[in-house]
Amino acid sequence: MKRTLLAFIRKEFAQVLRDPRMKMMLFVMPMIQMTVFGLALSSEIKNIRLAAVHAPDDAAARRLAERFTSSGWFLPVAAEGRDPAGLVVSGAADAVLVFPAEGFARAAARGRGAVQLLVDGTSVTRARSVEAYARAVFSARAAAAAGLAPAPPPLSFDARVLYNPEMESPVFMVPGVMGMIVCLVTIILTSMSLTREREMGTFETIVSAPLENREILLGKTVPYVVLGLVNAALVIAAGFLIFGVPVRGALWQLAAAALGFVVTTVSIGTLISTISRNQQQAMMGGFIFLFPAVLMSGIMYPVENMPALLKPAVYLDPLYYFTALLRNILLKGGDPAVFARDMAALAVMAAATGTLAYKRFRQTLN
Amino acid sequence: MTFFDPRRAAAVARKEVMHILRDPFTLVLVLGLPVVLVVFFGFAIDFDVKNLRLGVYDRDNTRHSRQVASVFESSGYFLPEGASSPADAARGLDSGRYSAALLIEPGFGRDLGRGAPARVQFIVDGTDNSKAQAVLGYLPGITSAALRKTGAPAAADPVPLATRYMYNPELNSRWFVIPGLAVIIIGLLSILMTALTVAREWENGSMELLLSTPLRPAEIIAGKIAPYVLLVLGGVFFVNLVARLGFGVPFRGSHPLFLSGTLLFALACLSQGIVISVITRQQQLAMQLSMISGLLPSLLLSGFIFPVESMPPFFRYFTMILSPRWFMEAARGITIRGAGAADLALPLLALCGLCALLLAAAFRKFKTDLEP
Amino acid sequence: MNGGPALEARDLTIKFGDFTAVDGVTFSVERGEIFGFLGANGAGKTTTIRTLCGLLVPTRGEARVGGLDFSDGGRGIKGKVGYMSQKFTLYNDLTVGENLDFAAGLRKLDPAYARRRREELFSLIAFDRPLSTMVSSLPGGVKQELSLAAAMLHDPEIVFLDEPTAGVSPASRARFWELIREVTGLGKTVLVTTHYMDEAEQCGRIALMRTGKLIALDSPAGLKSAAFPGPMVELDFGGPAPATALEGLGRAPGLLELSPHGMRWHAAFAGGREMEAALAGLPAGTGRREIPPSLEDVFIRLVEGAER
Repeated sequence: MKRTLLAFIRKEFAQVLRDPRMKMMLFVMPMIQMTVFGLALSSEIKNIRLAAVHAPDDAAARRLAERFTSSGWFLPVAAEGRDPAGLVVSGAADAVLVFPAEGFARAAARGRGAVQLLVDGTSVTRARSVEAYARAVFSARAAAAAGLAPAPPPLSFDARVLYNPEMESPVFMVPGVMGMIVCLVTIILTSMSLTREREMGTFETIVSAPLENREILLGKTVPYVVLGLVNAALVIAAGFLIFGVPVRGALWQLAAAALGFVVTTVSIGTLISTISRNQQQAMMGGFIFLFPAVLMSGIMYPVENMPALLKPAVYLDPLYYFTALLRNILLKGGDPAVFARDMAALAVMAAATGTLAYKRFRQTLN
Repeated sequence: MTFFDPRRAAAVARKEVMHILRDPFTLVLVLGLPVVLVVFFGFAIDFDVKNLRLGVYDRDNTRHSRQVASVFESSGYFLPEGASSPADAARGLDSGRYSAALLIEPGFGRDLGRGAPARVQFIVDGTDNSKAQAVLGYLPGITSAALRKTGAPAAADPVPLATRYMYNPELNSRWFVIPGLAVIIIGLLSILMTALTVAREWENGSMELLLSTPLRPAEIIAGKIAPYVLLVLGGVFFVNLVARLGFGVPFRGSHPLFLSGTLLFALACLSQGIVISVITRQQQLAMQLSMISGLLPSLLLSGFIFPVESMPPFFRYFTMILSPRWFMEAARGITIRGAGAADLALPLLALCGLCALLLAAAFRKFKTDLEP
Repeated sequence: MNGGPALEARDLTIKFGDFTAVDGVTFSVERGEIFGFLGANGAGKTTTIRTLCGLLVPTRGEARVGGLDFSDGGRGIKGKVGYMSQKFTLYNDLTVGENLDFAAGLRKLDPAYARRRREELFSLIAFDRPLSTMVSSLPGGVKQELSLAAAMLHDPEIVFLDEPTAGVSPASRARFWELIREVTGLGKTVLVTTHYMDEAEQCGRIALMRTGKLIALDSPAGLKSAAFPGPMVELDFGGPAPATALEGLGRAPGLLELSPHGMRWHAAFAGGREMEAALAGLPAGTGRREIPPSLEDVFIRLVEGAER
């Protein structure tokens, strides 16, 4: 029995890997995506386009505006006599500093040196950060630029951010991206392959083979589990080599997490294939799972913030646990309590989806 | 034989409509799924981090210092807890028990009362980048609230900075998320819909039959895109209805402009699907390619959540080939800022360009050769 | 179309990269003929048919179909021929009416004309179900006949049928070939590929193909008499043939062909004298029966014999 199963698995492997385009998609694309996303993604607010509207000969205003630019957060945008609101509505500027028309220094001397900061409210996180940065520069430099004695603000917070090095995003983002890529590859591989066989009619040839249902299912899914694990290994290695994402935890923890996750996603892919009549439906099914799963994985938005009614959905998302596990194992050294909790959840998911997939699979064979 | 015959293209379009109608599952999905996802994530996504445990170490213990701590609480974002010592606060930050810590030294209340500059230490856990940024973003508001509450006699600030948030004075983060969500979902579904249609005809052998007639590739492409444009517009309509009526997202711009932008975006995405279908000629590969080229780039690189401006310069240019990136700008601009055609000239032109490029690619890559 | 052959091919060669699918094939087909292509899978039948209906452009050589050549890339030819493919017939998720409307739309047929043609073709194939019938609910034979109707909707002069009866019941096959005869009776030219010998018998002329080459071209009778100028017997050894008898036969002078057919053997000889001489040495009680050679015998002799 074992030998026929192995032969079966080998045949599946050969089929999957025969197409060079498939190999590209399995091995090359994930690397490219890791690199691109790891380098590109940052939730830090940077490159804020700031326009300064002031009288043409207002040297104090210009000096202050330059201070903003040299702080490193802001990029200067020429105001060119345009109306401040117009600058924002057209998207030319994220924020506009509007100085008093009579001249900044003169107005300040008369106690009327109020400067207005118009901030584009489209993105709330951006708007808040813009204000925070602007205030920081303003309180440090405005008085001096206006030619007044610096007046320290009556109340200020000395803000300090701990664990700063990792705030430079790649090390933080990359584990999340890793999970997404592995999820994507395993789901679309599995759901499409099985459905395709059913559609093309080659499924019948397997049913007539001298194998038990259990073995047929194993034979069909084990290759994808293996491929998923290889994919995960590649992606983690790439994270280490390209971005220096450390592996502070134990390798066995990593392996367990990857196994639990891949088994879950392969089972879900199998489930999708059992309920799809054709490849188009399989694809839609894959999308219905993937889109929310990726969005709720934890790196896109703070999932802890979700309304109580919707939060259970997160606890049903295998990618959420896998991302948490990756972050924990890679960055925090695999804290045992947290690991145990997330790993247990993932293991339960793997068992549940695996059983469900097996039941449905058996049904389709009969 | 002409290059493009509308009658033949129309025949292909009619057939495609029949296929769509005979697959109610996909139909319902395309019209209904965007609404479901927008409703779910419209409620789920909230960038205002709340319930932040704040370790408060108050050695000053005056009325003013307690008032400052209470302002943190009344902001609605923080849950202050007493910390016994700075070391205790540090441990709390380390273990993740606290998201931030407030350390008030003795003399704070006195300084504030005298109008001398009073300073307080505020430490943020930087493990979660966006969370830390959000926390820092709350400080200006808390500072002004604290000043108001303590009523401290402050020397009138000769150069006050008055901030005004335009278009979204209440800082409703849903207004940012929901149009973005709509763009992403519609874009992705558009790609997926057309990605399989040409590949399917190759796989089941019907393409050979089509090509044995005078039918030209351009007619196949046009005929296959046309019905889906209508479908996409239907999906967009329902999503916008939900956004406006359900979530109160404003719509300040011009409807015809938004419609044109949507059409361009839909065309670009549908064309992307067709290109994938044409070059893969196999449904499974088409699906993989469309998911890989669609799902993650759309979600991550279009400016939906991660700002394009924060990307390194190379990637900022790279995202220019993504149609969701451009329509994201346009959609948000029209919806929230009421931007006009002149303001959005760049994104709209870019969408036109992408459309043309993708359609040309689909046409040129349409190999009519059959395997041996 | 003026007088002259409906179709001619001269030194027609089609290569896919390094692979030569069709190698220097030359033949011509007269109007009203039922012209068959016989050969194993991969012999080049389908590729030849695809080229002649304009789907592929010849790598070398030339072909004229309905008086048109490939100078316009085959587009003119496409307008003049009808094609029924091996792999795909009609869209399963569409109705009969929708499939035919689509075929009519592709050919830009005037709606009234299309309707008339449809009715003519329905009576030709004796199709009496409603237009709203889903194709998926039709039996295989009916689907094939409808597919033929769709291919002929625009009244082409030449019709190409690639394995039109594959997977269809024998009764339906017989019916289909009746249809083919009726179609040629209407003045059309039909080119068919098949690997059923009994169908090949019904063709006017057969082109036998092997690894891309045309190895024989004649009417069925002509092929048989060319391959087997002498008599052929069927031998029944009442069980497995004794090795000695086979060896003896195999060495007999004038033996053209010796091949097993089920439990029996066919032996063909150059002439009657050679036959008697060879058969004399067979064990007593060996059943013998003179039989006319079949196309299968021809096929084995020409195609597989060439390998020996």
